[in-house]
Amino acid sequence: MLIVQQFQKRSFIIPSLISSGLSYLSKDIRLADKMEDGELHFPKTEFEKSQNTSRPLFQRPEPNYPGHVPLYNFEKLLMFLGSSIGAFVNPTNNNFIVSLGESTAFPWVLNRLRTQMLNDPSGRQILKERPHMTSKSLNLDELKNYPDNSLGKSYFLWLEREGVSPDTRVPVKYITDPELAFVFQRYRECHDFYHTITGLPIVREGEIALKLFEFMNLGIPMTGLGALFAPIPIKSSQRRRLLSVYYPWAVKNGTICKPLINVYWEKIMKKDIDVLRSELGIEKPPDMRELRKKARSKKKQVA
Amino acid sequence: MFQVIRRFATSVSNVADIVIIGGGPAGLTLGTALKNSPVTKHLKIHLVEGGKIIEPLNSFLETPPPNYLNRVVSLTPSTIGFLDSIGAWSHFNQERTQSYDDIVTYDGVSGARMNFEHPDIATMVETTNIQAGLLSRLNELNSQQEVKLVIQEDTKVTSIAKDSITQWPTLKLSNGDSLTCRLLVGCDGYNSPVRHFAGIESRGWSYNRWGVVATFKFADTEFRFPTGWQRFLPTGPLALLPLPNGYTSMVWSTTPELAEMLLSLDETEFLSMVNAGTRLSTEELSMIYDLAKSKSPDLLEQIQWRLNLFAGKLKPADEENFPLQVSEIVTGSRARFPLKLSHADTYVEDRVALVGDAAHTTHPLAGQGLNMGQEDVKSLVGALERATSRGLDIGNSLALEPYFSERWPQNHVLLGVMDKIHKIYSTDFAPLVAARSFGVDVLNSLGPIKDFMVGRISGNSKR
Repeated sequence: MLIVQQFQKRSFIIPSLISSGLSYLSKDIRLADKMEDGELHFPKTEFEKSQNTSRPLFQRPEPNYPGHVPLYNFEKLLMFLGSSIGAFVNPTNNNFIVSLGESTAFPWVLNRLRTQMLNDPSGRQILKERPHMTSKSLNLDELKNYPDNSLGKSYFLWLEREGVSPDTRVPVKYITDPELAFVFQRYRECHDFYHTITGLPIVREGEIALKLFEFMNLGIPMTGLGALFAPIPIKSSQRRRLLSVYYPWAVKNGTICKPLINVYWEKIMKKDIDVLRSELGIEKPPDMRELRKKARSKKKQVA
Repeated sequence: MFQVIRRFATSVSNVADIVIIGGGPAGLTLGTALKNSPVTKHLKIHLVEGGKIIEPLNSFLETPPPNYLNRVVSLTPSTIGFLDSIGAWSHFNQERTQSYDDIVTYDGVSGARMNFEHPDIATMVETTNIQAGLLSRLNELNSQQEVKLVIQEDTKVTSIAKDSITQWPTLKLSNGDSLTCRLLVGCDGYNSPVRHFAGIESRGWSYNRWGVVATFKFADTEFRFPTGWQRFLPTGPLALLPLPNGYTSMVWSTTPELAEMLLSLDETEFLSMVNAGTRLSTEELSMIYDLAKSKSPDLLEQIQWRLNLFAGKLKPADEENFPLQVSEIVTGSRARFPLKLSHADTYVEDRVALVGDAAHTTHPLAGQGLNMGQEDVKSLVGALERATSRGLDIGNSLALEPYFSERWPQNHVLLGVMDKIHKIYSTDFAPLVAARSFGVDVLNSLGPIKDFMVGRISGNSKR
């Protein structure tokens, strides 16, 4: 009881001492601030006082390219934590995948990709021209008139079959270096061409298989995380099919095929897709939609 | 009988106290310093040089060439102090020298940088200017003295042997003369014949690197105080050192195949390549090297593209972290030389002493090679002065040993430090880059330690 009383007494005395001491010092502190700002001898005019020149408490650095949002490292870490949990729980939400991709696109990873591009003539051309893929730049309407089995036609057919458009790609926001941001943007925009050339559908299973293929070929961390964790929550029959058919294919083909980031897709639309595949060194995997259909009908028969 | 007399006569007329082999900066400084010293000026000294030097060196002072020569060295304050003390510095063509206060080194992989500041931390001088100034001072000394130093130019040493009676070194010269001396000093460079004669082993290794040199003019875009720049690329450092009027002398140490590539470029390509070398990342450089090696026609365009990207990213405040771009090359100033480390087991034998490159060669990354030779000369002259004033035979090991025991350990430490710096920087292995960058950042913020280092490289704290 005694201690409490004493404590209470002190808790009254000490703060009052501190505050009185501060109020005694504060005059000096304010005076020093004034001297430092030069206001003591050159007081502010009324006009200067009316201008609000004080800086805001928090200000982001200048963006390095249009649309850039400079992040501090701790923000990137938070973004990584949030988006990785989100992507695991709800992988169909594109926002999570996009943020996971950017928060793990470390400079050294993108730097390695850029080095690959610099050392390849067409990769260099891509870096120099910085093309952006949109339905307009790709001339989608013309593509359907391209010869059968050309890359352009196959791409068009694939877009139709899966019901997607090249305009849905989100622009890169959080990568610091403009050129590295372009490299990541390029990966994102070319993703549909990887679907086209492998024939993998955009269903969850197909995306997972393609992620491992991309990781083996490009080494982007997000794709590796996807290939590692995404198969955990899916159906066991699908996982079995992935592990027995598509993962071995992805490991083999992703490793031996030429770096896909160096392919200037827009310039080779007329090329025969089989010829292109053999040039790049990719074997087409078994059609996933077919396999799924077969498995489903088998299941029905058994039932 | 006649033969005996004749032989006697020849040997008498051609006996010298000291014969210096080599008319480079080391040999000329030694001759000048000995003639300048009141104790040793009476000695009979011959300087034998294989090439023609007197006429070219005199004409360098009388009618200086319009362009800077490509053999340029940086002199430390200590070296300049010594040259001044023997009265030679005022004979140099001062307009062609450039002193500077600031050296900036930066890591080609991580960008970690270090600033060395000290008034007149170094002075850039053409080696021909050094030789010409020394020769001019030597002529002045000769005109004041009875015993003159004899320069035998355009004369090669065909053989060195020991005299059968006196055991003194006897030289056979290409003009048919023979020359016997009490002390033979080898200032005759890396492949020193004198060292071979004395049977002194020189140990070391080739760096498997070449130094590519050239003289440039900086682009006239903004005012800069003269500054020494050095960028450590994994293939070797690229240094741009200031000359007067915005000119700059480059030494780019690099692998033999890249050196060959650099020499095979045309001059505009070479200019762009040097600008790329001072700024672009190692990945970009390796792409550019590959393009250059394959003689790609769009090399210039690709370099310009990367340089423009670099300039676009650079914030105005960071511009002074890099040297200005070079915009002109002095035609025909490109050359290369091999880099190696070597150190002789000893500098002195009975009646033989080695000075400068004959005794040691080093990597040019801190511009210490010639300065070490000047320190050698200073020390050797001191030893000879002491020996003379004590009445010792100047060719005797007792007279020469102090020179060796003073200089060898100091040179050995410097050679070792240069070697380690070269090795630490010749990798782009990430953990090592991180470690060396951390070290540089720490050192750069520790004033006293940096001052000590500046003292060492500028030769101020030695005594």
